Amino acid sequence: MAHRVDHEYDYLFKIVLIGDSGVGKSNILSRFTRNEFSLDSKSTIGVEFATKTLQIEAKTVKAQIWDTAGQERYRAITSAYYRGAVGALLVYDITKKQTFDNVQRWLRELRDHADSNIVIMMAGNKSDLTHLRAVSENDGQEFAEKEGLSFLETSALESHNVEKAFQTVLTEIYHIINKKALAAQEAARNSGPPGQGTTIHVVDSSDAGSSKSSCCSS
Amino acid sequence: MRSNGGEESTRKDVTSGGSGSGAGGIPSPNPEWRFNQTLRNVQGLLKGRSFPGKVLLTRKSEPLNALASPTHSREMERSYSSNDRGNDQTTNSFEAEAQSSGRANNANLQKTSISSLTTSSTPPDAQGSVTGARATDSARVAKFGNELSRQAVILAFELAIYCIYAEKLRELSWSGVPPYMRPNIWRLLLGYAPPNSDRREGVLARKRLEYVECVAQYYDIPDSERSDDEINMLRQISVDCPRTVPDVTFFQHAQIQKSLERILYTWAIRHPASGYVQGINDLVTPFLIVFLSEHLNGSMESWSISDLSPQIISNIEADCYWCLSKLLDGMQDHYTFAQPGIQRLVFRLRELVRRIDEPVSRHMEEEGLEFLQFAFRWFNCLLIREIPFHLVTRLWDTYLAEGDSLPDFLVYISASLLLTIFNIHSSKKIKADSSDCVPWSEKLQKFDFQEMVMFLQHLPTEDWTHDELEMVLSRAFMWHTMFSSSPSHLAS
Repeated sequence: MAHRVDHEYDYLFKIVLIGDSGVGKSNILSRFTRNEFSLDSKSTIGVEFATKTLQIEAKTVKAQIWDTAGQERYRAITSAYYRGAVGALLVYDITKKQTFDNVQRWLRELRDHADSNIVIMMAGNKSDLTHLRAVSENDGQEFAEKEGLSFLETSALESHNVEKAFQTVLTEIYHIINKKALAAQEAARNSGPPGQGTTIHVVDSSDAGSSKSSCCSS
Repeated sequence: MRSNGGEESTRKDVTSGGSGSGAGGIPSPNPEWRFNQTLRNVQGLLKGRSFPGKVLLTRKSEPLNALASPTHSREMERSYSSNDRGNDQTTNSFEAEAQSSGRANNANLQKTSISSLTTSSTPPDAQGSVTGARATDSARVAKFGNELSRQAVILAFELAIYCIYAEKLRELSWSGVPPYMRPNIWRLLLGYAPPNSDRREGVLARKRLEYVECVAQYYDIPDSERSDDEINMLRQISVDCPRTVPDVTFFQHAQIQKSLERILYTWAIRHPASGYVQGINDLVTPFLIVFLSEHLNGSMESWSISDLSPQIISNIEADCYWCLSKLLDGMQDHYTFAQPGIQRLVFRLRELVRRIDEPVSRHMEEEGLEFLQFAFRWFNCLLIREIPFHLVTRLWDTYLAEGDSLPDFLVYISASLLLTIFNIHSSKKIKADSSDCVPWSEKLQKFDFQEMVMFLQHLPTEDWTHDELEMVLSRAFMWHTMFSSSPSHLAS
């Protein structure tokens, strides 16, 4: 996954951005990495790539994000990018029911091609378009709980919850990796089962990345 | 006229064959029918032989009158109308062509420029084909003495002249078509408009009507009559239409959006093996621009939809549809499942770059960069996204001139784009001949994986002018000459 050992970061996490065409994946990415939003963006062909470095619990984490084309025809190409991904942001459009209904298919796609431990955040994007809402926040929340996914409603336009969505995924990945490392250490020391001492970290993941607190205020 | 015995016999045979066929050898006076008949006959007769027109038969032979010069058109029409009256006269006209070709000099072919497009250049045009045809004809006549072969000789001549006009048209167009001629030339290059100018309007009218009927049949139906896949496809298209050249306001007009949607949907329905694939929407835009420019003055920023009648919009839409179809006919497997055609081009680009610039190629490999990560879009959208929009129509002159060889040549254009970019970190105007330019291949080797992907996905071409594009194209042409016919050149 890491192509070059770089001294500027402690961890490099590969994240994929998936979901139906037109739900706003590319704008979520540009909002997160460049703080930009474009009303006249073009469709993504194949995959596009961006990175952002941020702090997670005093560690420098570099997120390497692959933004994929939404159309089904491209899945043969884009699914190759799931390999090595430790996190996924699965996006739907709250104003288009169909894109929410398709989330199930995207999950299957991840199960087929990605690592089984991949951390998934489901994002209901375009939350600013309240008058056009076709999927309630509750439906999103329920679905996410049933499938064991994290969930947030986001607005790339208003820069709402975008940073938080990535932050949450990255923090969770960080904890899992830490936990694994810890478990490996413990296993090495005691040669017994992994202890429970690591579980507490997962709960406070949402406020772990305190670098950005304004993201929820808009 | 010439002392060559073979030639003499050719001429004789042509004459007698001509009168013989006039009696009933060619049953229909319809030029298109006859042309197709010519194709079939000649294809059958020349199987396995080297005839200069052979590779050109299907497409390149068509844009005969494309040179648009009244002189040319008249001349060709004359020979055809005389052909209708009686083949003896046709034979004479061919003889005249052959004679002029005898005096001709191949170097003229190389020297032609855009200016010769508007002036008369008939003799140099005709010479190449007739010269080529003559050689095979004499051989053939020596071999076959019967009526059928004599007839084939006439047809071969006819075809040869078609071919050389088409070849000339391609040669001229390759280096750029003057904007005001572009709509006609593109229609001819793509084989959408027939070469014979007095039939052109009729054929276009028929094709435009056919398109309108297709739209009525496939598009103007209730959703209840569509399959789930078709509904999904239509939805995908409607998502992409507003995202097509979003920075040009003219394209956002409801009528243009609707036209675009109809073109894409109708094309997709009629090409079920691929259906609509994102990016094909981009491929309609050069056609839209060019065919709109026939009816609107000034730059596209100042265009107004109210200057177009519904009939004109309908015609433009139909022309875009047919031209898109013709363009994509040569790239069917670029858009089918898993897009094997594009994968093949990506693979070939990687191989070519390895041969041209081994250090860059090795560096990319060491960094784990895959060509698919950037070149996929290049091929999928035919580089439309990689250069400024105002240069796209110029690039497409070359594309359409390449015809069936376009996918092959795209590999060379892409390699050229990849390896000839200059001084990327400099904000000042990039000039190919400026002394401070740094070949990009040098810069590239200092990039790590991420820098390379980011760079290649967002090539800094926004300030490009025609100069940079011409440089890329001429480099591509040079490499194509060097590498394509010699697979082992620098292959180690």
